[in-house]
Amino acid sequence: MKLELIGKPEGCKLLRMTLEVEPPLSLSSRIISLSIRGDFFAIPEEAFDEIQEELCGATIGEFAVCFDRLAQEKALEFEGISSKGLMELIQKELSHGS
Amino acid sequence: MAHNFRLLKTGFHSAVFNMGLDEAILDSVSQGLCLPTLRFYGWNPPAVSLGYFQGLQEEIDIEACKAFGIDAVRRITGGGAVFHHHEATYSIVIPLGHPLARPSIIESYRILLAGIIEGLAELGIRSEFAPINDIVSAGKKISGNAQTRKKGCVLQHGTIIIEVDVDLMFSILRVPQEKAKGKLIEDIKSRVTSIRRCLSVPDSVSFEELFSTTIAALEKGFARALDLSYVRSEPTDLELQNAERLAQEKFSNNQWTARR
Repeated sequence: MKLELIGKPEGCKLLRMTLEVEPPLSLSSRIISLSIRGDFFAIPEEAFDEIQEELCGATIGEFAVCFDRLAQEKALEFEGISSKGLMELIQKELSHGS
Repeated sequence: MAHNFRLLKTGFHSAVFNMGLDEAILDSVSQGLCLPTLRFYGWNPPAVSLGYFQGLQEEIDIEACKAFGIDAVRRITGGGAVFHHHEATYSIVIPLGHPLARPSIIESYRILLAGIIEGLAELGIRSEFAPINDIVSAGKKISGNAQTRKKGCVLQHGTIIIEVDVDLMFSILRVPQEKAKGKLIEDIKSRVTSIRRCLSVPDSVSFEELFSTTIAALEKGFARALDLSYVRSEPTDLELQNAERLAQEKFSNNQWTARR
């Protein structure tokens, strides 16, 4: 199941997310592939690319915790994006689906 | 004591060369081959630059770019898509150990954008920093900026809008589906300004004249705000070679441009 999510959560720039999960979408769905795009800043940029790859295999319920843990491990600094903001996009889709 | 900086005024170049030269300067400063560097430049032909994390097809109408003769390039810095037409552009490269370098994104902007704000003041325009990465005058955007930290240096580059053609800009930039294009264009027109508009410069004054005046003011502004002492120079032969190589191999390469 492939989802195209877009939105501007509070404190974030316009975020776009392509999320492929094992259907149906729920907190226990596992992430198969993930692409996050937008006009945010994340430094080092390559570490953000790695985080996207490393989030594959996590469940939707683990998404925010894993994102923050990986960001801390890779000393990633970001502005205009947050795990909370990304999760808000997913939650919106979850509530539409329910 | 003032900070010694190399000052480059490299004129108008293609998008791929401009991005190649910014990265080549980053390389040479990071290797200690050159002083921290402030560069001013312009774009010919006009171009749209895409932020590192943006999706090409989502942000830019490539066919429209071709039709209008506008280049498209992906930056190594984050931030949003920028239409580079009638503007002055700067880049600044500083080693992370330099007293002007800051470890955080916002603090780096706050320190370095003081140069732009002072430069605009030199022209008679009052402006202020609007986090994350803009400068506004009377609440309207007049400068957009982007930065990265690589190879032990901060690279920040950005635009100072001299004239703006919002209708042309939105002929090539895509609009999120959730917002009606007409409404967005009207919104942007009311939220973006330019040096020509702020100073009510008549049409009889050409863009080229305004460009020169703006660069001269920014040069003074950066010197005053950041306490810089300039060594006026040209890019080195090595930088020019690297810029050409990066322009051809990286910034012209569709694998880079269309990577998202």
